[in-house]
Amino acid sequence: MTDTVAARAVPRVETTLVHAHGIAALVTLLLSISFGIIAAFQLLYPDLGAGVSWLSWGRVRYSHTQGIMLGWLGNAFLAFLYHAVPILSGRPVTSVALGRWLFALWNFAVMLPGWVLVLSGVSQPLEWAEFPLVVDGFVVIALVMAAVQFLPPFFTRGLEYLYVSSWYIIGALVFTLLSYPMGNIAPEFVAGAAGAAFSGLWIHDAVGLFVTPLALAILYYVIPAVTRRPIYSHFLSMLGFWLLFFLYPLNGTHHYVFSVIPMSAQLTAITASALLGVTVVIVVANLVLSMRGAGFLPRDPGLRFVAASTWFYLIVSIQGSMQAQMAVNQTVHFTDWVVGHSHLAMLGFASFAAAGGLVHAWQRIPWARYNARAIDVGYWLVVAGLVLMVVDLTAAGLMQGRLWASGAPWSESVQASRPYWIVRAHGAALLLGAGFISFFVGLTTGARGGGLAAIEHGAGVEAAGHVASRLAPVLERVS
Amino acid sequence: MSASPGKAVRYAYLVACVAGVLFFVMSVGLLGVWPKQVIDAQTAAMSPAHPLGLSASALRGRAIYGREGCGYCHTQQIRYLHTDMSRFGAPTLAWETRFDYPHQWGTRRIGPDLSRVAGTRSADLHFAHLFAPRSVVAHSVMPAYRGLFDGAADRPRQGARDLLAYLETLGRAREIAGPEGEAHARAGCNCPDDEMLQMAFEGAVNAHSARTRREGDVPALPPSTDLERGRRLFGDHCVTCHGETGEGDGPGAAALRPKPGTLVEHAYTDARLAEVLWHGVAGTAMPAWRDHPPADLAAIAVAVKALRADRPEPALPAELQELGARVYAANCVQCHGEQGDGRGTAAAQLTMAPSSFRDQRPSLDHALRVLRNGVDGTPMAPWTGRLGAPEIMAVAHHVRSFYEGGTR
Repeated sequence: MTDTVAARAVPRVETTLVHAHGIAALVTLLLSISFGIIAAFQLLYPDLGAGVSWLSWGRVRYSHTQGIMLGWLGNAFLAFLYHAVPILSGRPVTSVALGRWLFALWNFAVMLPGWVLVLSGVSQPLEWAEFPLVVDGFVVIALVMAAVQFLPPFFTRGLEYLYVSSWYIIGALVFTLLSYPMGNIAPEFVAGAAGAAFSGLWIHDAVGLFVTPLALAILYYVIPAVTRRPIYSHFLSMLGFWLLFFLYPLNGTHHYVFSVIPMSAQLTAITASALLGVTVVIVVANLVLSMRGAGFLPRDPGLRFVAASTWFYLIVSIQGSMQAQMAVNQTVHFTDWVVGHSHLAMLGFASFAAAGGLVHAWQRIPWARYNARAIDVGYWLVVAGLVLMVVDLTAAGLMQGRLWASGAPWSESVQASRPYWIVRAHGAALLLGAGFISFFVGLTTGARGGGLAAIEHGAGVEAAGHVASRLAPVLERVS
Repeated sequence: MSASPGKAVRYAYLVACVAGVLFFVMSVGLLGVWPKQVIDAQTAAMSPAHPLGLSASALRGRAIYGREGCGYCHTQQIRYLHTDMSRFGAPTLAWETRFDYPHQWGTRRIGPDLSRVAGTRSADLHFAHLFAPRSVVAHSVMPAYRGLFDGAADRPRQGARDLLAYLETLGRAREIAGPEGEAHARAGCNCPDDEMLQMAFEGAVNAHSARTRREGDVPALPPSTDLERGRRLFGDHCVTCHGETGEGDGPGAAALRPKPGTLVEHAYTDARLAEVLWHGVAGTAMPAWRDHPPADLAAIAVAVKALRADRPEPALPAELQELGARVYAANCVQCHGEQGDGRGTAAAQLTMAPSSFRDQRPSLDHALRVLRNGVDGTPMAPWTGRLGAPEIMAVAHHVRSFYEGGTR
């Protein structure tokens, strides 16, 4: 098969759209983490912003998570798709004009009004669905546009030629279109406990059917693209893909263990959570084996982010399987442990993958600025901040769970949390802020085309198209 | 079999694609639609026939609760776990959530669960807390919602009143359904073998630790002499309202009606302090402190006693004794009782229990002040228009004579 691939013409990568979504991702990232940092400090200095209604903790918290998921990750994933889909499919994306509309819609009809409305008090008090319904309408339109933009290139040849990243991209675009309306609209019309059941589904589908598949598409893409070797096992990659898509949606109810939602639904979700952990071990084993020889700290900056993401994915998934179990859940649920867990997932796994994909694509835009040193510094600051935050919040969660179970007065758990919150705000949050500012600097300063020079260091500079054509064989599905 | 391996793979993927979509549909069916059927059936069987819905004001309050993200620190879901139940009351039943569009269950508890917060705090305490949380709860990390007020905690805008109206609906439906409602729910549940659901009917519906009770058993506090610990705890939990010196002038006091107790002006028996700490003072902002260990409550009681100003007690002039008893019998017994125990014939009709003079003795100055000015926010009226100065002086002395706590 590979000979036919090599003969294929290299399609055009729309670098302008990669760049535009990359810049939007970086800007929304800095805004989103600013909201996170403000929220972290408000728990220490609760009068921070008092009297300024749009700065009140709840609204800032809404803006933080919606910004991270839709603004930063959404834009970074779109940037990566504009880079990878033409190379994976051998076809250009559907339309550049459609791309411009999608960019405008995502940033100026979803992110901007979403934030403005939430901060001014128009929102939907549902986790991972805080933007109001009117904004959800534009999200769905944008998701349809993304499907039209990226799916047709894959279907020009047979399914058996699809590489695993292509499967994940197709899966994410199709299933997010199904799950987003379900999670954002159903609880408005289904009351109380039953509405919570739908909410629980969406909380996990947002992670499992939108964020995870696109992050894994990046991991599976960047590893062979950098190492120039096919992945360890195409069979395992497919096994993992289907198991993840079967199991992720069945996890939702584990957010409401010991609730009035029927116990058999809770037990289904708890069992699926355990199986999901096993599946992730399969996926991560395949990824790690594909990276063999690259070391724990690959020299390539994109691959280095991707390697960290892979390890964080393993840790967060095993932790997730564990905390869904009743014995653990009854203590750690409602505590800071869960906040640590979600940062390990959305920051450690997803954001590192997104950053890896973004750096990888950025290096291959011949005119994009690139500052290797700032990216390096950013990487280490973010790793340090994340590890500190997760260790700190996990310990805080255990302490809170133990105090609550002991019957101690409620205020004691708030007082005892303070040292942990000091570490989170003054330590972890500021490290993360500095790290992401450095990351921003890394992709917006330095020499134009500096990224391309860094890839082919010592081997001469190649044109972007040439680089892509050499990737085709390693990214090909071998059947 | 297939003509080529490629074709077989293609069919395998087509099957998997269909299965993938079916799995998603299955997840929504199994974890969304089917639980909804069960929950709807349970609600129909267990709910009172006509549960009280939300008023227009409460609905507006719920919108404020949602837009400010209250549910991201306060859950509204008491789990079927004894650790949750002992703190917040009976676990949440499906029918109790039937009006929640959308649900506000939450996944993080920085502050306490609010499922059964109705009736646990007085309105003035809620307002003081919403306006300036740390003025009443020293270690709270809650944001101040000053925008809901017109510059002061005792000047709530419509938004604050709406939010309060909403908070007062939380847990209300099941409480007003009463024992009959519980029996109906239990029969409707028809789940004698479901261990988990049976937990919903264990113990009190509202076991909220801060809920005041007008009367009831009080466990005797262990003897304590730990003044230092008592002072520290007093500083942590009491000074916000009662003030550093017990004058009742802490930062939270300004908005409260009635004012916090002036500890410096009163002698209390041990039993009275235990009762107030355990049950709170119904009808006032004084919450119960049952969630604190008895040894801590005992230490606080020691600190409270130490606050009393050690002033020379003026003697009761002999010529006023008989006048005092006469004025008291004519004007005070209806509420405060013949024996001064606060159990007069009208006492049960009052929103708060009249003072019992047997277990708390005001200073003469304080008694005179109360008789002349009344107590704002309570049924105690000023008496200056009805009693002359000698009568007020006489009855002030008289109420001090009931005290059974000795000189301590």
